[in-house]
Amino acid sequence: MSQGGALIKMKLLTNSRLLRPLLLLRRQRSHDAKAAQAPKPRPVPTSAQLDELERNVIARHHRNNLPLIRSLIQGVKAGDQDQLRQLQVELEQLPNATHPRLQDYGEQPRELAQYVHRQLPPQSSLKEFSELARALNLYRMDHLGNYTGHKSYYLTGQLATLEQAIIQYALQAVTGQGFKLISVPDILPREVIESCGMRTDGERTQVYKLDNGECLSGTSEMALAGFFANKVLQEEQLPLKVTAVSRCYRAETSGLQEEKGIYRVHQFTKVEMFAICTEEQSEAELEEFKNIEVDLFRRLGLNFRLLDMPPCELGAPAYQKYDIEAWMPGRQMWGEISSCSNCTDYQARRLGIKYRRSSDGQILHAHTINGTATAIPRLLIALLESYQRGDAIEIPDVLRPFMDGQELITRNKRIPETKLVKFIKV
Amino acid sequence: MFSLRNVFKKGLSAWKTCSRNISALYITGDKANENYVTLQPYLDFKGTFSDRQSLEQSIASRGLDIGLESVLSKYQKYEMHHAQLAKVAEEREVVTKRLKELTKAGGSAEQLDDLKERGKSLRNDLKTLKQKLYPIEDDFIHDYLHLPNNLHLQCPTGGQEKLLYRHGLPKSERESFSHLSRHDLIHFVDNNRYYMMDQAAHFDVNAMQSLARYFVKQGDFIQTANPDFVRCVLLEANATPLTDYHLVQEEHLQNKINTAYLTGGAAFESYLGAMTKLCVYPSVLPLRYICCGRSYNRAETDLNGPIPSLYTATQTNAVQSFVATQRADEAECEQEHILNLAIDFYKTLDIPFRIVYAPAKQLTPAESLRAVIEVYAPSLQRYVCVGRISNYGDFVSKRILFSTRREKHYDFLHLVGGPVLYTSRLIAALLEHGFHLEDCKMLGTASAKTTQQQDLQQFKDLFK
Repeated sequence: MSQGGALIKMKLLTNSRLLRPLLLLRRQRSHDAKAAQAPKPRPVPTSAQLDELERNVIARHHRNNLPLIRSLIQGVKAGDQDQLRQLQVELEQLPNATHPRLQDYGEQPRELAQYVHRQLPPQSSLKEFSELARALNLYRMDHLGNYTGHKSYYLTGQLATLEQAIIQYALQAVTGQGFKLISVPDILPREVIESCGMRTDGERTQVYKLDNGECLSGTSEMALAGFFANKVLQEEQLPLKVTAVSRCYRAETSGLQEEKGIYRVHQFTKVEMFAICTEEQSEAELEEFKNIEVDLFRRLGLNFRLLDMPPCELGAPAYQKYDIEAWMPGRQMWGEISSCSNCTDYQARRLGIKYRRSSDGQILHAHTINGTATAIPRLLIALLESYQRGDAIEIPDVLRPFMDGQELITRNKRIPETKLVKFIKV
Repeated sequence: MFSLRNVFKKGLSAWKTCSRNISALYITGDKANENYVTLQPYLDFKGTFSDRQSLEQSIASRGLDIGLESVLSKYQKYEMHHAQLAKVAEEREVVTKRLKELTKAGGSAEQLDDLKERGKSLRNDLKTLKQKLYPIEDDFIHDYLHLPNNLHLQCPTGGQEKLLYRHGLPKSERESFSHLSRHDLIHFVDNNRYYMMDQAAHFDVNAMQSLARYFVKQGDFIQTANPDFVRCVLLEANATPLTDYHLVQEEHLQNKINTAYLTGGAAFESYLGAMTKLCVYPSVLPLRYICCGRSYNRAETDLNGPIPSLYTATQTNAVQSFVATQRADEAECEQEHILNLAIDFYKTLDIPFRIVYAPAKQLTPAESLRAVIEVYAPSLQRYVCVGRISNYGDFVSKRILFSTRREKHYDFLHLVGGPVLYTSRLIAALLEHGFHLEDCKMLGTASAKTTQQQDLQQFKDLFK
């Protein structure tokens, strides 16, 4: 099996999109991931189907294993059982089909809309997140590597309160849309993570492992997938929509200048949306996810753009995917703050998520959708940089009820400045 | 309340982990080439050994297997070698100075050669002495670092806890059922993995946020969000048994002995990262911090077992407190302050709970006093810990160099803190008591305030 929706969101993304080689490398790595659960054997594709599969693999910049598949089929026809097994493994590595509308997108995402909600002050006076937060004494990231680890960070005072306010705001919005909240585990068995398409071993794995052999979850989608694995739902239950607040752990690092500060960190909090639905519902459901996300960021008053991602940006499981990039005025770049994907039955087949059709009682594979409601660090960057007002930060209207009506974030003199000693003599 | 077997087991495991040969907290010169020295703890030998009686009593009451006599003899040996080293170093200094003077004044070649020879010999002596001192230093300092904090006068030294406060009494006639039978709300897989649905999931988030907000509003605390990994050097500084947390296996670990552990942001140790080597102005004291986050502590898994449940689970949402003061008496007041805020919160929930001082045997070596907030768990028919506020004195601050300046001196700060709430255990107990989680009243909830504000706004709008 290959990548999961989780991985799609983990991709590197900047306004310049100059990082494509890195992206491809990452995709290639997880492409080799093996399936934890062996799904039902797939029928041997016909020659026409093979041509179509190859076109899809090339468009999505995946490892082209079609020549190998073709030669394995020859072997299978000659009755080689070993090759039949190998063929099944290779077929599992293939990416999901691609939505037909993306066929002529080439390699660039299509910008569907730009939402401008804020008039920004002149560029010369705009500061970047870490400069703003440090000046207000609300954040620390320096000299921590030896104590709490590489790229670790503390949020203090109103910035920490803002984090909780964002979580409450997002939960209120998505539960209002019928999503049921679930508390999820962050420590998961290796198999659950691998069945979501993440490799847990190898040189550059993105997954942290613990001493007991278990792993740390990179996104709550993994825990939610594990929760619904091998379940047979009733059609009336669908679409089944859940949300979770979780801590996400990612071992990947980045030395890129545009990803400095808390843009790409090893640990952060995220509110995730996940839905299980029928084949007929999934396209409309993805649109709903997209609309919820757009509405969340619109009400926050951010300037952002909605992108329809091209085949080469989909990873393995997604059939189609939207990204939302916020304008980060201090950094002068678009930064991905959210995305949502329709994985059709790609994940469900691997996880055994099924439903019973009401009309004839037939058991079918469900479709799965996932999306980010709010991922804290990047949202903090976008908010602080957009709402800076000289020596204070304005709190967006919608967050004020969760912050006891406070309107401004200001410098807190009760928080000590970072003055460090080297040693103290006895 | 706690079985002896578990206490013994815990003590033993703590001892085992403390007996490592290489410490991340103290690295001698010969090993400093391979291992980066991240921190030089303030080692106050004189202060530690000045009140030998208290130290002896602390060791005995905690049931630690430490022979103070042996540590003291190692100390003497260390001091003796140190003095010898200092003497030779001083002598060498004198020779160097003399050599400089003579060279300037144009001394005879013979005199200069003599001094040079003497200098060389002293340099070699110094080198030999240093090499000899390393193992002596290693042996002594590691023993020294295992010595416990002195006990607070209030800390029970017998085997029993001391009751401080109690609210409600457990109803013994109630037929108890396990919270795990609520399949509509809880899906429990194992100690590392469980799911909570619907009202349990909402309570899980709301209780944590409400209590933190209550501390900020009513207790004058500053909210923080902390990292989830803490490196070994800080766990050692806090004398946390390394078995309490999962070790994170990092791919490219630069400092092999300073490994990372998964504590969760709402762990006391997670605060230490921001305090290490920090020198604060007295104006920010008392420094009161509170945070929401995860906790992955498995110290009480055995204690609350043997049946795995939300009482034994590793992961939970938690609210963690951390306070630093200049003086010991202020630290005591702050501990009371935290406990009073916690009492307000649990009283409003109206669940049977109590606060006790834990007996010395249950304390980690860094704690001088531990107050435990316990709710009654009907299925276990005993109280379980949902929070614990400890007084560390300046024991930990000295090790992590957390101080304030007073004139030309550094004062090491007195630390108080610990979790005020573990949501998973509270949810389990509330369900077993028959509470409807959606109806539970909680202090610090935002909605009440919001409604008031909305009402006020609507009223104002009438006049627009």
